[in-house]
Amino acid sequence: MNQKELKELVEFLIEKDITEFELERGDVKVRIKRGTPVAPAIVASGPHFPPAVSYASQPVAHAPVASASAAVEDGDNGLHTVKSPIVGTFYESPSPGAPPFVKAGDQVTLGQVLCIVEAMKLMNEIESDVAGEIVKMYVKNGQPVEYGQPLFAIRAR
Amino acid sequence: MTPHTPSSRNTPGSPERSGSAIPAPGEPTDGKLGRVIRVLSANPLVELSGTKIAEELGTSRSEVWRLVEQLRELGVEIAGHQSIGYRLESVPDLLLPEILGPLVSGTIFDRNIHHFFRISSTNVAAMAAAAQGEPEGSVFLAEEQTSGKGRGGHAWASDASAGIYCSAILRPALAPADVLMISLAAGLAVSAAVEQVTGLQPDLRWPNDVLLGDRKFCGVLTELNAEVTRVRYAVVGIGINVNQSRFPDELRELATSLHLETGRPWSRVELTAALLKSLDCEYRALVTDASAARQSVFRRFEQRSSFVRGARVHVEEDGGYDGVTEGLDERGFLRVRTGSGMRTVLSGGVRKP
Repeated sequence: MNQKELKELVEFLIEKDITEFELERGDVKVRIKRGTPVAPAIVASGPHFPPAVSYASQPVAHAPVASASAAVEDGDNGLHTVKSPIVGTFYESPSPGAPPFVKAGDQVTLGQVLCIVEAMKLMNEIESDVAGEIVKMYVKNGQPVEYGQPLFAIRAR
Repeated sequence: MTPHTPSSRNTPGSPERSGSAIPAPGEPTDGKLGRVIRVLSANPLVELSGTKIAEELGTSRSEVWRLVEQLRELGVEIAGHQSIGYRLESVPDLLLPEILGPLVSGTIFDRNIHHFFRISSTNVAAMAAAAQGEPEGSVFLAEEQTSGKGRGGHAWASDASAGIYCSAILRPALAPADVLMISLAAGLAVSAAVEQVTGLQPDLRWPNDVLLGDRKFCGVLTELNAEVTRVRYAVVGIGINVNQSRFPDELRELATSLHLETGRPWSRVELTAALLKSLDCEYRALVTDASAARQSVFRRFEQRSSFVRGARVHVEEDGGYDGVTEGLDERGFLRVRTGSGMRTVLSGGVRKP
């Protein structure tokens, strides 16, 4: 199952208002639980499953599952999410061994570089589109990320 | 010839001159230098008087004298002197806009060619200029880079006037996913230009290293500034080893140049012109019809690359793994079959073990 199929599945579940779903197919296992106020959770396992999906397991209160790839504001908690514009590999620093661009707790300004996402030797410097404090980094250095995947949560000031 | 040493050929009685012929790093090349060459090359058979050149440039005779001396220090062969006039012995292989511009007219790259004798990195300069609104098609060329950039913090050895160090600004109205095609297309453009000029048929190592045998002579590093749905600008940086006659020990097994492969020097001007024309073609195709261009890029990449199918490779990313390549997926990523199933290479760093 790829990211697109997973997204379609989630959309289908929302459309049909199905709150719990479990699927086992070969070595892939998917369990989705949605609804409020219970935090939605997607648990996926399997050797070939894109690790990129793990972000969705970050509990986001009162937000429907599909918001993981749509909304910019994270509902009630008021955090701003910075997302990846491309599929690629996430780098927290400009070169291996260099200090990271930012870390949790840092104050960032509008346009400040937060990280690099690389695909096909194309380096995409991701800039902050708000000024504020880095509250959360969703992705680890060297990890693959999907299009639209949240990278940072920022408390705008 | 060592263009770095400050003037050692100061003739007695000549006006005072300070410092090196080479401007400080990052300082754009004085456009008058190229214009002197342009005027001289338009009159190849006669000694052209300093007064005549000064008129053409709208400057003074002493300024012309200073410019000629500076050009000589940079290795340009100019015969004559102030009293009898000047004549160009041969058109220099410098990537000056006045020389390169006419060769790429009609492409998107013919308007804003920025030349530097020495710069930290053409990509850094182009990205900074793009952030300040520099238009699409602007090209940054340097005779020498003091900190040329490669992938993942690697340096790109950039000796003076031996290679081509070129960065172009693009502002494509494309989704970020389609912009990835530029990365593959840039390698194809280099490959086509080199074949056209030298007759060599380079190999392509996904995504865009260009090789002769198993040694690399060209690398591409693209930098992107994008929002989730929109690309603000991209800078395609291309480094080509042209006339290097040797490499340091640590690079000898990995790197080569066109000179080393063929035993003769090549015109960087001609190669750069062929490259920019080729890149112009690829880019126009991509922004005109992204999906048709994508198919064309995939097809040509498969034809030209020994890495894309059936090659045993080591992949550096994602913890590192080995496998056998199985073509490109619909986005252009390299598929590699491993002992534990199919994997997709996202960033680069593929090599034959």
